Amino acid sequence: MLYRVLRLLSIMMIGVMIGLIFLWAPSESSMGITQKIMYIHVPSIITTYLALTIAFICSIGYLWKKKEILDIIAFSAMELGAVFCGLALITGSIWGKPTWNTYWTWDARLTLTLVLFLIFCGYLLLRKFTDHGEQQARVCAIIAIIGTLDIPLIHLSVVWWRTLHQTSTILSTKKQAIDQPLLLMLIFSICTLFVFFTYLLSTRIKLEKQSREYAKQVANLY
Amino acid sequence: MKLFQDSITIFFKDLVLDLRSMENIFAMLFFSIIVIMVFSFALPADDKSHALLAPGVFWVTFLLAGILSLNKSFQIEKDNFCLESLLLSPISRGAIFLGKMGWNVCFILLIQILVIPVFSLLFYGPFLNNFFELLLLSFITAIGFSSLGTMLSALTVDVRFKEIILPILLFPLLVPLLLASVKITQVVLADGSLMDVADWFKLLIGFDIIFLVISYLTFEYVMEI
Repeated sequence: MLYRVLRLLSIMMIGVMIGLIFLWAPSESSMGITQKIMYIHVPSIITTYLALTIAFICSIGYLWKKKEILDIIAFSAMELGAVFCGLALITGSIWGKPTWNTYWTWDARLTLTLVLFLIFCGYLLLRKFTDHGEQQARVCAIIAIIGTLDIPLIHLSVVWWRTLHQTSTILSTKKQAIDQPLLLMLIFSICTLFVFFTYLLSTRIKLEKQSREYAKQVANLY
Repeated sequence: MKLFQDSITIFFKDLVLDLRSMENIFAMLFFSIIVIMVFSFALPADDKSHALLAPGVFWVTFLLAGILSLNKSFQIEKDNFCLESLLLSPISRGAIFLGKMGWNVCFILLIQILVIPVFSLLFYGPFLNNFFELLLLSFITAIGFSSLGTMLSALTVDVRFKEIILPILLFPLLVPLLLASVKITQVVLADGSLMDVADWFKLLIGFDIIFLVISYLTFEYVMEI
């Protein structure tokens, strides 16, 4: 029931979001229609941070309580985090070409987001190279905890270094860093991707639980 | 006090092992020299290019050689059930971590003392210019590198393709540390004022502290039988 509700809500919100982006949200004065990719790019990276935070909390919980469900949630969140991080990098590159005349530059924030993507990939590779069980869950939990240290760095990099990337707008203390309609559209896009992420996460957790249950039954047979 | 004494015991154990055979020291030293030579051949032959790219070459060499020392750090314990014996001994996990990490820092510094003159000669000259600045910078960077590296080396000791997975996990996490080191080295080699890179020093030292504390705290969970 929950999955169906989330699936339906995700589909509806994504549909509304696409409609609003092209029919309601005004174009930005200097970048024009190119700016609209921001409504995918920014929510993607924020969802990445959400996924990493969930994995971080569940990893700490696993090391503390040793409950398998926490490992399943952490793994599912890291997998989805990798997907959304990749989406953020790709949409960022597409946005970068008309804006900065380059698909990629070794700007501080871009570099550290790429590093975050590599951390996700390292986690998934480590998962693949360790045998199923307590050791796999334990070592992956530690990597998720260590990897989460990257989040403050990415946020602070905009402040610490002079950078090509736009400075923080949502959390900016400057007045009118972003116009009201653009801000509302951005917030709605973030909420849409959060709902979509929740649907994907719940489905992935369900699949992983079923997969492990099946593996245990097969192991019992032999 | 017991933590300190146990750490010293582990430190001296690794020190005696490495100094007795010397094979690790020579292997790392020659590997570092070969990497510097390869870069020397691979980059444009003029002195200007060499001087420009010297900071990056220095730290890539440091990184690659450092990985060798980290790989052997817990690999030597795998033989003859030494790892299990170490874990069953009345020594805390924290002491094992601090002892291993301490020796890794000293080992890297020992190699750097020999590599920095070679690097200076081949890359930017004059010979032994900025030696102590580079050594101090190597020491500060080695603390963060060894903290995280020792913890990850222990983490991956029983993992398949350990030699590949350790750099895959370690290098992305070390990028901020290396960014700071390269920036400071650029200023050092240009005989600039270190006050210009005070922020980078703060970042470097901050990372050392963060990685040292986090690695120490999580090592308890890494080393479980």
